[in-house]
Amino acid sequence: MKRRPQQSDFEREALPHLGALYAAALRMTRNERDAEDLVQDALLRAYRFFDTFQAGTNCKAWLFRILTNAFCNRYREREREQVVLSEAESSPANLEQFLGGSGADGRDAESALLGQMVSADVEKALAAVPSDFRMAVILADLEDFSYKEIAEIMDCPAGTVMSRLFRGRKILQGLLRQYAVEQGIIRETSEGNSKATSADGAADAAKTLAEAPVDLAAYRLRRDRGGAG
Amino acid sequence: MICVDVDTYLQAYVDGELAGVDREMIERHLVACPSCATRVRLEARFKAAVRAHLPRPVVPLALKLRLDEVLASQKIAPLRWPWLSYPRLVPAAAALVLLVAITGTVRQSQSGLLQQAQRSYRAEMPMDITGSDCGSIASWFRGRLDFSMHAPALGGGTTCQGGRLVNVGEHPAAYLVYRMQTGHRVAFLVFDARDQSLEAPERRVVNGREIYVEAGPGISTATYRDRGLGYVVTSDIDEDTLTRLVTTSFGR
Repeated sequence: MKRRPQQSDFEREALPHLGALYAAALRMTRNERDAEDLVQDALLRAYRFFDTFQAGTNCKAWLFRILTNAFCNRYREREREQVVLSEAESSPANLEQFLGGSGADGRDAESALLGQMVSADVEKALAAVPSDFRMAVILADLEDFSYKEIAEIMDCPAGTVMSRLFRGRKILQGLLRQYAVEQGIIRETSEGNSKATSADGAADAAKTLAEAPVDLAAYRLRRDRGGAG
Repeated sequence: MICVDVDTYLQAYVDGELAGVDREMIERHLVACPSCATRVRLEARFKAAVRAHLPRPVVPLALKLRLDEVLASQKIAPLRWPWLSYPRLVPAAAALVLLVAITGTVRQSQSGLLQQAQRSYRAEMPMDITGSDCGSIASWFRGRLDFSMHAPALGGGTTCQGGRLVNVGEHPAAYLVYRMQTGHRVAFLVFDARDQSLEAPERRVVNGREIYVEAGPGISTATYRDRGLGYVVTSDIDEDTLTRLVTTSFGR
């Protein structure tokens, strides 16, 4: 018979993830008070239903799913951020400038733009990314969840995770570049713009990906039939 | 594989999500295509740089203390029907249920109710519904409670802040939070009082109503019964002010 979980089990399994939960909650809600309430709410729910957690499975992913659900139920309604940010999205040309050169010219990494920006700028840029895309970036880039885990946490297909992640990163790059221009770290150049519009059609790809989930299975089918490669 | 196909795979490759033939194909392409190789390198550097700029914030001590308190006040839900795996216990459990049915309903002690109200007040539990319109908050509880409820109307510029669905014993109950003009919080725990005893150390009679008052360290509690419902009112104001505030709701 399954042993009834105890408070000590919960403390051992769940509480080590408090730091990760709070960090994600703070970046999702963008407000310390809301983040504290969200974490408290999520952990309380997790505690009350801890008997449904299967020992030996990924407790962090289980907790993040509860946190994400709580966030969607409670806070996302408040968000009025559905601003079209496509104009702020980045392109490979922006990214080269952003990271201090293409690498082909051997420029020192210390001169990289991101190295000149402070964490507050990056926090501010991340906070401006719409919530679904922001959540995907937080889960993948800051918390190291796999696509499969993110799909379970966000309750969506893996292809949707990929498109949200792609779009989220592009928006983040675009916003950081805007801040860098505003602060005079880099100059807005017509060359940069022309590069941005011509570079491998990546901006078009970003828009396409924003509208439809990435479908790796379809690509593989096409490749296996000899239509790609 | 051609460069356009790399778009499909680029992020997944950087994120370490590709394996087998997918990974081999993109790596073969990257060896032959400096442009795509640069893009992969830049994406990986960007990911690492963002991570380096976004360290984990320190968890506030206040949150840790709140969690300790809240978790100590709650229980993990029991396993669903665990006794079914003990066939010999089934008749005993059935007999116990029958005994309870014969001797009366299990009651939550009065001191347990006061403690629950005080713990909830200190923990500043997040609300299920927020807003200053008491009517909307009361409407939110419709269908969620076993009884119909109106949010008590308080005078003196005291406004509603929110509500949360809680349990008193085995039954759903409403937890309503108000804010006084002075900034003090006032919380009402509203529940079906038919099976509850409401006595407390100090009994007062105001406008013909019985109010039981308890003054604790930093928190006062007033308990009363109205039309079959029980009310436990908790606040950080003194018991006399709390009694006056509660009394204003009687005539409304």
